[in-house]
Amino acid sequence: MATQTLTKPKQDQSVEQKLQRLRELYADAPEIGQAALKNGLSMLTQELAAPGRALTAGRIGARQGKVSELTVFLPFVKGGAMRLRGFLQLLEGNFRAADAVGTVHDMRFVFVDNDTKLLFATAYDGDFDPYIEDFAAKIPNAMDLWLCNFEGYPGMRNPKAAADWIAKHQIAAEAWYVNSPNLTAAETRRLEKIGQAVEELLDKVG
Amino acid sequence: MATQTLSRPEQDRSVEQTLQQLRKLYADAPEFAKAALDSALPALMAQAAESRTSQSESAGRIGIRLGRVSELTVIAPFAPGGARRLRAILRLLHGNFSAGTKVGTLHNMRFVFLDNDTKFLFATAYDGQWDPYIEDFATKMPDEMDIIFSAFEGWPGIRSPKVKNWIVEHQVSAEGWYVAHPDLTVAETGRLKRIGEAVDEFLDKVGT
Repeated sequence: MATQTLTKPKQDQSVEQKLQRLRELYADAPEIGQAALKNGLSMLTQELAAPGRALTAGRIGARQGKVSELTVFLPFVKGGAMRLRGFLQLLEGNFRAADAVGTVHDMRFVFVDNDTKLLFATAYDGDFDPYIEDFAAKIPNAMDLWLCNFEGYPGMRNPKAAADWIAKHQIAAEAWYVNSPNLTAAETRRLEKIGQAVEELLDKVG
Repeated sequence: MATQTLSRPEQDRSVEQTLQQLRKLYADAPEFAKAALDSALPALMAQAAESRTSQSESAGRIGIRLGRVSELTVIAPFAPGGARRLRAILRLLHGNFSAGTKVGTLHNMRFVFLDNDTKFLFATAYDGQWDPYIEDFATKMPDEMDIIFSAFEGWPGIRSPKVKNWIVEHQVSAEGWYVAHPDLTVAETGRLKRIGEAVDEFLDKVGT
């Protein structure tokens, strides 16, 4: 999208200005926080001097390098929590459908607020809209099976409405860190294959 | 786990049972969801048959793990002024968390402000078991931890013996957890990246 850096003006502040701002902010922090700021200052100076790495994932969400985050809180319909819990238990951690999409790094399903809401959080490759379109094209049934348990879900056969519905419940992360920001899921698979091939080669060489 | 070596017929039977249970669960679901269940059935059968080999397990004290990668999800109330402080520091850092890289077992982490800045969600993917992970943070980046987590109600400080209890109290274990590469730790990913680069260099020299 046009504005890839979230807070451009902030970047123009000098490191000294930023440190000053931090000291002000932490003036009324709990003791633990104030002490930590003092001890951690040299590390922080490096971080503050580095070029900004926070990008957006398009319509909504944060991205670092090639990897984005999506975080939603979805309200259950009556009976939805029970159904989804049963569904997840029966799957026993198998989400081959996600493998089929090929751009998912990880995803978690967390029941919150007395089973009235689900927190769904995922790490994926690229931008929000193509990601949702990919799900709609590749695994619409699997999506309907778990998302039918939430209020107002329009169904994956209506991908535009489904994407709007997800975006409406999404809360963009204020900060997002990825250890290997330039590794897409596809690139990781390629590296795994190369690693195996190299080991085989070395075995043959003796 | 103990049930990893189910015999074939036994496995087929449990697949059939699983599908029965699913149909029951979805009996009062919307029509389109029931239709989805029917069309998704073949894939689900294959999945159910495989499920014995890639089951998520406990990450130790709390949280779940798939292969070598675990999840930690914490939702905690902000201390007075905490939200304002944390937002400002996160914006100043602008995505730079070299301290996270220092820990060496951290795949990713997100910071999400909830409910009008009254609560906070911290979610991370990491390697191995809960206790060593927390201890790692305490030894490798104690100050960074305190700068961030002192924004929350009751944070006892990373050096406090009470810190693990505080985290457990606010952690909500996931009930579903998927990792695309469950066998890849952060360290192993680093090794593969180096191998990939070396192979590229090698091929360049050979002149392909």
